[in-house]
Amino acid sequence: MSTAAARPERPSLGEGSRHISPRRRLADKAWWGVCAVALLLVIVPVFWVLEGVVQHAVGGWSWSIFTTTSTGVGGGLANAIVGTFVLLVGVAILAGLAGIGCGIYLAEIARQSWYTTLLRSASEVLAGIPSIVLGYVGYVALVVGLHWKFSLLAGLIVLSVLVVPYVAKSTELALNQVPLGYREGGEALGMPRTLVLRRVVLRSAVPGIATGLIIALAISVGETAPLLYTAGWSNSYPSSHLIHAPIGYLTYASYTFFEDPSASVRALSYDASLLLVVLVLGLILVARLVVRLTQKYAPDRGEGGGRRERRAAKAHAAK
Amino acid sequence: MTTAAPARSTQVDARHPHVMDAESVSLGFGSATIMQDITVGFPTGTITALVGPSGSGKTTFLRSLNRMNDKVRNFWKRGSISLYGEEIDGDSVDPLVLRRRVGMVFQRPNPFPMSIQDNIVAGVKAHKMAKRSDLRDIAETQLAEVGLWSAVADRMNDSPFRLSGGQQQLLCLARALAVKPEVLLLDEPTSSLDPRSTEAVEELVRRLTPGLTVIIVTHNLEQARRLSDNTIFFYQGRLVETGPTVELFERPKRPETARYLGGAVDPGVDR
Repeated sequence: MSTAAARPERPSLGEGSRHISPRRRLADKAWWGVCAVALLLVIVPVFWVLEGVVQHAVGGWSWSIFTTTSTGVGGGLANAIVGTFVLLVGVAILAGLAGIGCGIYLAEIARQSWYTTLLRSASEVLAGIPSIVLGYVGYVALVVGLHWKFSLLAGLIVLSVLVVPYVAKSTELALNQVPLGYREGGEALGMPRTLVLRRVVLRSAVPGIATGLIIALAISVGETAPLLYTAGWSNSYPSSHLIHAPIGYLTYASYTFFEDPSASVRALSYDASLLLVVLVLGLILVARLVVRLTQKYAPDRGEGGGRRERRAAKAHAAK
Repeated sequence: MTTAAPARSTQVDARHPHVMDAESVSLGFGSATIMQDITVGFPTGTITALVGPSGSGKTTFLRSLNRMNDKVRNFWKRGSISLYGEEIDGDSVDPLVLRRRVGMVFQRPNPFPMSIQDNIVAGVKAHKMAKRSDLRDIAETQLAEVGLWSAVADRMNDSPFRLSGGQQQLLCLARALAVKPEVLLLDEPTSSLDPRSTEAVEELVRRLTPGLTVIIVTHNLEQARRLSDNTIFFYQGRLVETGPTVELFERPKRPETARYLGGAVDPGVDR
């Protein structure tokens, strides 16, 4: 150790590792432990649910659930499957238009004011309202209030209201992440603002917007409570009536059939759960696919885009 | 491979030896004044360099020449800037037309997230300057003009982000030139490029004049000296000195100019 030396002593680089204090070692271990627990908290439930659902569903599996409607004492799930898809498409249209429109407005058009603050806060509050409360509001306002009875439209509106905040938020975030250079480049060419938005800004935000919308759809597909109050349940295929006609959907089968005394009905509950899980996984895959397909002209971002950069470098070197 | 650049019509209007004129222009944001009382003209068909220390307001001034500051919060402007004698802030002025005539290229290359060809013709399409069937030819001509055609001829439908930084900047120049501007504003266009790309950009700018008037902000004094016909020296929000580049560099009249061009970090203090 140098005490009175004019120049400070240079520690050798090699000695460092031996001098890590026990406290640092412990802290290191503890943090790795916390990370491992967090990882397990995410992964274990996924596989647990998958395993349970698949195991129960496969036992009494019959492909006829796709072709026969439910009867109340058994049958299939065809009516619920069609109903779920009808709801899915409806929510994609309603929540998609409202949510994406709201996101574009907040990110691109509105100037900061008390109004945008109100809109953003309202959207956040809406996202926090329990779905069963929304369902009950829908029941009071639409099913009873407007005399729609249990119906497709009542269910659609409540489900859409439920997921609009997600779509709006993800759209706004995706647009906010568009580099300023795109906008300035467009402006400097004398492109009208709406054209810059359409041709340049939205294009680069498509992956984020689409992912948000699809995740919102996945959420809505899994909702039960709001639909129990608004869409009711039907053993037959959805009709062309938007109101006055109840509609079947998979979460109802999953939730209600579970406690049925009849074993064949209980089996349908597991089948419906499996179909729901597969549907949500499918939606997530679609989201990934959309991101991949729409990033053909995207700049490489950090490490994520490394593959393309390496490929380009390889092609360059080959010349 | 070099392809002959298409001829640009030089429109030297006898009544207006200057393409653009700034008269008693002051600029600022909110209570801060960035530029004070700037009066200067930009001779048609020349290259003018704007130099000065960081924070001297050159970029703000440059961006005011095609009203890119309009939407910046609390921005204000006094005095008048004109293009061929026509006030650019006039009531009847369409800023979109102004920006088509006074183009701009930025410090960092900013290609759009679309194919190389679509990038080049983005402005042409926006201003409906050509038929759809001519777009490919226009893209080719523009790429040839900036010397990029041979490098991208077989990947017109590829992403521009696979090009090198220098190539991306040339692409942005080609995109800006495709709408046939009369003035091109360059905001430190080579500060993020390697020396060879810098040379390519400088060579292009030289080739573009006198068909086009170029105004370039640069921190690279050697670049200003190599490239420009005239130089304007800004310091602390004021125009300190302006004149032919050779004169300014060899016989500066003001001590601040002499100190800055001589390499002083703070031209206000004698070393």
